[in-house]
Amino acid sequence: MEIVLKVNEVEHTVNIKASEHLLKVLRSLGYFGVKHGCETGECGACTVLLDGKPVNSCVMLAAQAEGHQIETIENVGTHPEKGWKTSAGLHVIQQSFVDSGAIQCGYCTPAQVLAAKELLARVPNPTESQIRDALSGVLCRCTGYLKPVQAVLRAAAILRGEDIDPVGKAIPAPPGWSPSEDAGGIRDETIPDSADLLTRTRVMPQIQVTPETEAWTSVGKAEPKVDAFKLVQGKPAFAADLDKRGMLIAKVLRSPHAHALIKSIDTQKALELPGVAAVLTWNDLPRVAYSTAGQSDPIPGPLDSFSLDYKVRFVGDRVAFVAAETEEIAERALDLIDVEYEILPALLDTSVAMQPGAPILHDEPEYVNFADSDPKRNLAAEIRIDIGNVEKGFAEADQIFEGIYEVPKVQQAHIEPHVVVTYWDEDDRLVIRTSTQVPFHVRRQLAPVLNLPLKRIRVIKPRIGGGFGGKQEVLIEDVAAHLTIATGRPVLFEYTREEEFTASRARHPMRIHMKTGIKLDPQDGNAIITASEMYALSDTGAYGCHALTVTGNTGHKSMALYVGDRQYRESPNIRFYADIVYTNHSPAGAYRGYGVPQGFWAVERHMEKIAQQLDLDPLEFRLKNALRAGELHPFSTAWSEGRKPRPETIETCGLEECVRRGKSAIGWEHKYGNESWHRIEKKPYLRRGIGVALVMQGTAIPYLDMGGASIKMNDDGSFNLLIGATDLGTGSDTVLAQMASEVLGVRIEDMIVYSSDTDFTPFDKGAYASSTTYISGAAVVNAAQQVAELIKKRAALMFNEKILEMENEDGRDFDNPALMPQDIRLIDRKAYSPDGQFVTFSEIGHHSLHHADQEQIMGVGSYMSKVAPPPFAAQFAEVTIDVETGQVVVDKLVMAVDSGVIVNPLTASGQVEGGMTQALGYAVCEEMRYDDSGVLRERDFRDYHIFMAHEMPELTTIFVETFEPTHPFGVKAVAEIPIDGVAPAVGNAIFDACSVHIDSNPISPEMIWQALRESDK
Amino acid sequence: MIIEYHRPNTVEEALKLIARKDVQTKPIGGGTAFSRNQEDPVAVVDLQDLDINQIKDRGTILELGATVTLQDLLEATNIFPELKQTILHEATYNLRQVASIAGTLVAANGRSPFVVALLAMDTQLIIKPDEKIIGLGDFLPLRSDWLKGRLIVDIRFPKNVALKYEYVARSPADQPIVSVAVCRWPSGRIRVALGGFGDAPMCVFDGTESGGAELAAKNAYSHAEDEWASADYRQEVASILTSRAISRLAKK
Repeated sequence: MEIVLKVNEVEHTVNIKASEHLLKVLRSLGYFGVKHGCETGECGACTVLLDGKPVNSCVMLAAQAEGHQIETIENVGTHPEKGWKTSAGLHVIQQSFVDSGAIQCGYCTPAQVLAAKELLARVPNPTESQIRDALSGVLCRCTGYLKPVQAVLRAAAILRGEDIDPVGKAIPAPPGWSPSEDAGGIRDETIPDSADLLTRTRVMPQIQVTPETEAWTSVGKAEPKVDAFKLVQGKPAFAADLDKRGMLIAKVLRSPHAHALIKSIDTQKALELPGVAAVLTWNDLPRVAYSTAGQSDPIPGPLDSFSLDYKVRFVGDRVAFVAAETEEIAERALDLIDVEYEILPALLDTSVAMQPGAPILHDEPEYVNFADSDPKRNLAAEIRIDIGNVEKGFAEADQIFEGIYEVPKVQQAHIEPHVVVTYWDEDDRLVIRTSTQVPFHVRRQLAPVLNLPLKRIRVIKPRIGGGFGGKQEVLIEDVAAHLTIATGRPVLFEYTREEEFTASRARHPMRIHMKTGIKLDPQDGNAIITASEMYALSDTGAYGCHALTVTGNTGHKSMALYVGDRQYRESPNIRFYADIVYTNHSPAGAYRGYGVPQGFWAVERHMEKIAQQLDLDPLEFRLKNALRAGELHPFSTAWSEGRKPRPETIETCGLEECVRRGKSAIGWEHKYGNESWHRIEKKPYLRRGIGVALVMQGTAIPYLDMGGASIKMNDDGSFNLLIGATDLGTGSDTVLAQMASEVLGVRIEDMIVYSSDTDFTPFDKGAYASSTTYISGAAVVNAAQQVAELIKKRAALMFNEKILEMENEDGRDFDNPALMPQDIRLIDRKAYSPDGQFVTFSEIGHHSLHHADQEQIMGVGSYMSKVAPPPFAAQFAEVTIDVETGQVVVDKLVMAVDSGVIVNPLTASGQVEGGMTQALGYAVCEEMRYDDSGVLRERDFRDYHIFMAHEMPELTTIFVETFEPTHPFGVKAVAEIPIDGVAPAVGNAIFDACSVHIDSNPISPEMIWQALRESDK
Repeated sequence: MIIEYHRPNTVEEALKLIARKDVQTKPIGGGTAFSRNQEDPVAVVDLQDLDINQIKDRGTILELGATVTLQDLLEATNIFPELKQTILHEATYNLRQVASIAGTLVAANGRSPFVVALLAMDTQLIIKPDEKIIGLGDFLPLRSDWLKGRLIVDIRFPKNVALKYEYVARSPADQPIVSVAVCRWPSGRIRVALGGFGDAPMCVFDGTESGGAELAAKNAYSHAEDEWASADYRQEVASILTSRAISRLAKK
């Protein structure tokens, strides 16, 4: 049917099918600012304004929109610099989103901006709750919504003509916020709570800064993200935002059975369907065993996957690939593939996985073991770590505490689905443009699978709409690549939201046994941990991707935090054993925190129980036994992700200060143990509670993770910064540019950042293990220092030329000898001589490229760390419990974090806010559950509930800076630690509220209700 | 899969299309729920041009055209706060712009907050072509039968009542596991609807005084077990929430 769509005042006559949704048609017209996040209207990434109102274009038929005015983000504002043509620049709302740090991955940003635009046209002076309601239709997995709400508040104020504080402006510290002796100056970045708004228009977190940072001009500053302009305009920056002539659409036929052999597969009818270009089954592809885990070589896990196999191992496993002219044809072709299965008994219970007689998932002869994996016992990985003398420690204990804790499988739920485009370029090299966290691993790992030399593959990582570990997986690229090889044509393959749930990766569910020996300290009456033991039974699902390393980190980080005190501190007794078993569930994999949230759920619930049973102050007990600066990381001599362990000393630990700041911010002293605070007047069935969890993470993988960077200088004194590091929305491109600009003495806008492309950027291991700021940052600093040296040399040359010129001209004899490079200082785009003379970087650029002794000023740096300095944090939660129904409402989350020096307070606090929000879902509502046939219950955002803008608790972020001496700018990681502590802090707060212990998360109302009933008996 | 799209200008044209025997044809209001799991070939009749999107105040009755959106109703000045709360709980801002009242009634499952409230209010539907008036309680269990060849054109509920809504969910905006709406008429009539379970909310009590409502709620959920909660839990909580709602009604 032919319809006319009026989009941004332009009429488009289009021929469509009745079934086509507005989203698809708009994108086919080139409006790539309209994003695909789901197909059921729940995520709102596809928001457009229809007659001025925000609607979800994924659930609106294109035909329904005929006769209406459609507005997309492309109509809202433009870049202010458009050459000779004047531009109005960004819309106030867009600029506010840029300035406020409201943009992380940017995938939902166009939708949020449009929703805000409609709101402010309707309500010029909105309340916070009105803003949250307006944004309720747009899910954001990155920000925790705080900064987008603040951005709208700021934009509203600007549009009303009011003056607002600039972002980043510091105000005097309030009483009680005094500097500690060892922490240097205090920069309080909050404003007084003058309004009844939960969220203020000030967007900076609280930061206790280190003295070293005071003189810096770029590092430590709230710089806007370098990619914010394109993201806020909805530019075609993501993998799917590409229109290639003749591009085919790929679809995958998926198994309806949890465990089955494919006895026969007939593709004839599908191939005969007009518009079908290729149908591939396991018979068509080379049989190459590989791991989908995107990790460095050698992969620390079994090779147990095939692009297509004759056996399926979970509901949703791959059966066949189809490429067709349209999505509709591809889906019809899937229906025409005739598969005969021999159904095998399914293994759906981890507790029987290793028992004799259990169904065996991996009996294929090509299986390649890693370490202790044993497919005959369904064992993907085994961990046995003993530190000290654990049995002796238990024998010396006064009391032994044991408990069993369970954690669920949860989904990363990035709003941009997995998506890839593949095509042959003009040199017959295969180009893979993909939404990945690990472009270099994709290239290396796919080469044998595709039977292509590595050098004939180019992987391009454009902007990524969130990953959270889900895209540290070579999950989809082979599908499109095989189909491009088969057809010779470009292929687009994009997951549906249902596929994201049923056929991608998730956090490993675990059952964890804890055992802790405790001895009372006669000197202070507190308790000392004499030995601790954790056993984790982890479900890797059908494939062993990340099996060893995720579960290894469960113990490596959480069990390292509490070493004991006195002689036990000097020689801790710690045991961590784990079995990671195969089941016929969809595979688990990497998810932000990488096994550590599972560990801290068990450890921090367990610590709370011990404190409660011994009537100890829970924080004093924890801090007495916690790891401290100057001590050896207890696991560093025992385990290193399947590689050789090497001893590592903790250089910095701000944990005590985090506890102090966090307690103050949440009002711990007033609330904890205060019965009158626990009760709510006129609501006898409600109880308040407060809880805490202390956590630590790591920063990169020592002796393994490497990042590279190159910097070259241009004529005008700007620089191209090329990095292999993968910004998946975290802002790593920005903080790396800040470090480079700090070293070079320029502004961040002088850095033109490009990441990442295996053809053009240096290698980087990718975005995982909280490594980019630390590892890639050090590489950038290395490269920048080389460039700075060359600039200084050039400046010295230019100064000396000038001097010589003057001597020649007027015969003057200058006293000072020739300037040396080390005499030059680089400040504000200029190179200064000691007497205050300067040459500009533009002059230097022109001189080096055009005028004399021509050369390209550039540097290439790389960095591999020998240590993984842990960040530390204190996570606090406040809850209200309905003791009659079990309903739990989380009212407030406060996190005080020691992540070393904070390079960018906006992006870093955004990480903490977003991480806490994801972790909040882990605490109370997110889980993936299977029925007795292995069919997943949660297949969309209706059943898999992630927190929305209008139901968020108050979020507070506090940074307690330490200066990590192993990094040139003193940084440690920030990305993962925010997800570690919320769930146990909420669990502990529930105990504080109503005296029941819940040992499994997410904590449902029924669990609390049941526990309360049992406690009454 | 949608194979035809029609946008008629009159109810009569729409009814003709819907009555076709050769092509399965269904009406869409906003279409927000229609896109979910639509696998059979189907023709759709878009109701947006039928002029059935008015909110009419008829004394003690509020009459809503079928294509009135949730947002239209939310913004109406003459509805009570707790009904607004159920609308806010039902759908996000984007979805409320296009989701129609009739479409919500047709598509809702038992976890719908808004439909629980309308059920408690003894909402009536006017269905064409036979101009039948059907109670929502009769309509919900047999929706597909009622709608064969028919179209909801109006929805009516009383204005002179008091409504209280209570629910339990994993998070404030999540779908309820148990929800209760209690409506009281000036005559003293009390009607209780339960949600959070099953294919549709259910009316569990309709009497002249509230005595026995909690027990009725408890009994109604004696088999309300699914993957989200046990029947024991739902029974207990349904009773508690009913008691609370009635108590709040008593406080005016």
